[in-house]
Amino acid sequence: MRTEQLIDLLARHAGPAPRHVVERRLGAAAGLGAVASAVGTVLLLGLNSGLADMGTALAAKLAYITALLLSAAWLADRTARPGAPWRRALWPVATVVLVMALLALTVWLQATDAQRPSLLLGHSWTACPWRVATLSLPALAATLWALRGLAPTRPRTAGFAAGLLAGCGGALGYALHCPELSPLFVLVWYTAGILMPAGLGALLGPWLLRW
Amino acid sequence: MRRTSGSGLPNDFEDQLRPLWLNAQAGDEAAYRQALALMADRLRGYFARRLTGLSHDVEDLVQETLLALHLQRGTYDAKVPVTAWVHGIARHKLVDLWRRRGRSERLFESFDELPDALHPTVHGEAEVRHDLGLLLDTLPPAQRQAIVDTRLEGLTVSDAARRAGLSESAVKVHVHRGLKRLARLIRGQP
Repeated sequence: MRTEQLIDLLARHAGPAPRHVVERRLGAAAGLGAVASAVGTVLLLGLNSGLADMGTALAAKLAYITALLLSAAWLADRTARPGAPWRRALWPVATVVLVMALLALTVWLQATDAQRPSLLLGHSWTACPWRVATLSLPALAATLWALRGLAPTRPRTAGFAAGLLAGCGGALGYALHCPELSPLFVLVWYTAGILMPAGLGALLGPWLLRW
Repeated sequence: MRRTSGSGLPNDFEDQLRPLWLNAQAGDEAAYRQALALMADRLRGYFARRLTGLSHDVEDLVQETLLALHLQRGTYDAKVPVTAWVHGIARHKLVDLWRRRGRSERLFESFDELPDALHPTVHGEAEVRHDLGLLLDTLPPAQRQAIVDTRLEGLTVSDAARRAGLSESAVKVHVHRGLKRLARLIRGQP
């Protein structure tokens, strides 16, 4: 086929470009992933009956995860669009982590020496990151699939962003079970759990994000 | 933002392309046609500078990139220069070609591996339509159907899409991929 014929083929009745493709795909993937994690959490680990009494601690935890999820979604959006500057999309991610670190530091400074170890380790630090990471796997499959249908030109960065987004979805579901109240615990162990699928995404990106 | 990210495309090209492209995105077919033609010219130069001595690959890659531009036009963000977006996709396609070439030199040992039925001399006396049928049979069903519908039966792309239950874009991709594959078969490089 000559190139002029191809242009004719492509342009004929092409109609307007589909709108908000990136947002819709990434949104659907993150939403599905969060729901899968929530269902997995309730079925495998059980809903925490004390959630209603956790008050501001739960609010801070959910706010952190949600803000990180939104900034990860923005990063993923940038990596899905050729030519879009993506480095500056790292700033919101860093800012969210920094704000949470300030909150954790404040609580740490107000605590007595005897309280401090439990602020960091809680009751479940050995399980938390692994659970978050495991619960994120359906979300990771979904976000990688979503990106694969878009146009990531930096597969490693895009894979990382997909994993970060998936990790936040997984963490959101796990919060339904998690009994921990300390912001320092959330900062360290949730973030560790979220970084595992992010790292896995960065490893898988060059293999899976071909188009 | 007026960066062209090292593509060597001057800004007046962006100024010429951008209004056409925005109209094309909104559904203006004539503008889309013009924009694709402008892009094709630029892409030809871009690839030719990087693939000296591989002139056949240049046109293949131009077409491959135009197809990707079409399929991915939903990922264009109006805040980004059109040239930066096109360049991102073009570079991706170029790197992809290099990677595929680097991995498989077997692309070039070709003719012996074709089934006998496809060797042109074997069926020298057969009718052209028979040969064409044999060639078409080597294609994946969706590509064969798209080519038969649009090229042999003369359906429009939208009719073919309706018949196959696919989107128009999908039919266009099948026609393009299928014709490319046929061309390669005829040249004897699978």
